[in-house]
Amino acid sequence: MSDRLGSVFGALADPTRRSMVEALLRDGSTSVPALSADLPISRQAVAKHLAALEDAGLLERLPGRGREVHYTLRGEALEPAAAWLRDAERSWDRRLAGLKRAVEADARRS
Amino acid sequence: MTETARDETEVRREVEIEASPEEVFEALVTEEGRDRWLGEPDRLIQIETADPPRRLVWWWAGEEQPATRVDFQLVEMPGGTRVVVTESVPSFPLAMLAASFELVAA
Repeated sequence: MSDRLGSVFGALADPTRRSMVEALLRDGSTSVPALSADLPISRQAVAKHLAALEDAGLLERLPGRGREVHYTLRGEALEPAAAWLRDAERSWDRRLAGLKRAVEADARRS
Repeated sequence: MTETARDETEVRREVEIEASPEEVFEALVTEEGRDRWLGEPDRLIQIETADPPRRLVWWWAGEEQPATRVDFQLVEMPGGTRVVVTESVPSFPLAMLAASFELVAA
C-alpha cells in the first residue's frame, strides 16, 4: 500500500471524518466553528480530524474568508464519482434505446 | 464540483415506448426479456421489488462497478408507456471515493 493510499484509507476509516466529508458534499465548504456546531466533539478534535483529511489530500483551504479557515473538498477527490455519473447517464440512454427497439419490435409482431 | 455532487447522487433517464406497460414490464423482469436489450451478462441482478406492471427495482453489481439500485417506473400514456429509470449508489459518493482507491466499498 502506497503512503498516499494508506493515508486516504486512514482518513476515511473514521466515522467522524466520514461525516465531515458528507457535510462538505452537502454544504460545499466548512470551517472548524461550523463543524463544531454540528458535531458533538470539541473544536480541538474537529481541527485534528480536518488536519487528517487535509494530510490525506482530500481537502483544500479556500482563500480569503476573514479570520476563519474554510475548507472544501478537492475537485480531484470527487472526480471518480463524477465520472461514474457521466458514464451511468450514457449507459442508460443506450440501454433504454435498446429496450424501446426490442419491445416495439415485439409489439408490432403481436 | 461540490455543487454538482450534492444533487447528483443518482441518475435519472426516461424513454417513451409504443407498447403496453405489461409488455415493457415483461422485458425488464425476465432474464429472457433482458437478454434482448441489456446485453450485460456479467452483471448479477437481484430483484428487490416487482409490482407488475408499474414498478420494478433491482440491485446489480459487476466487476469494477459498485453495487447500485435501479428503479424502473412504468407509466401508461396514450399509445404507450413512459419508462423512468433511476440508478443510485448507496452512501454515494463515498463508495466511489473508496472504490477509486481500490478499497472494497461496503
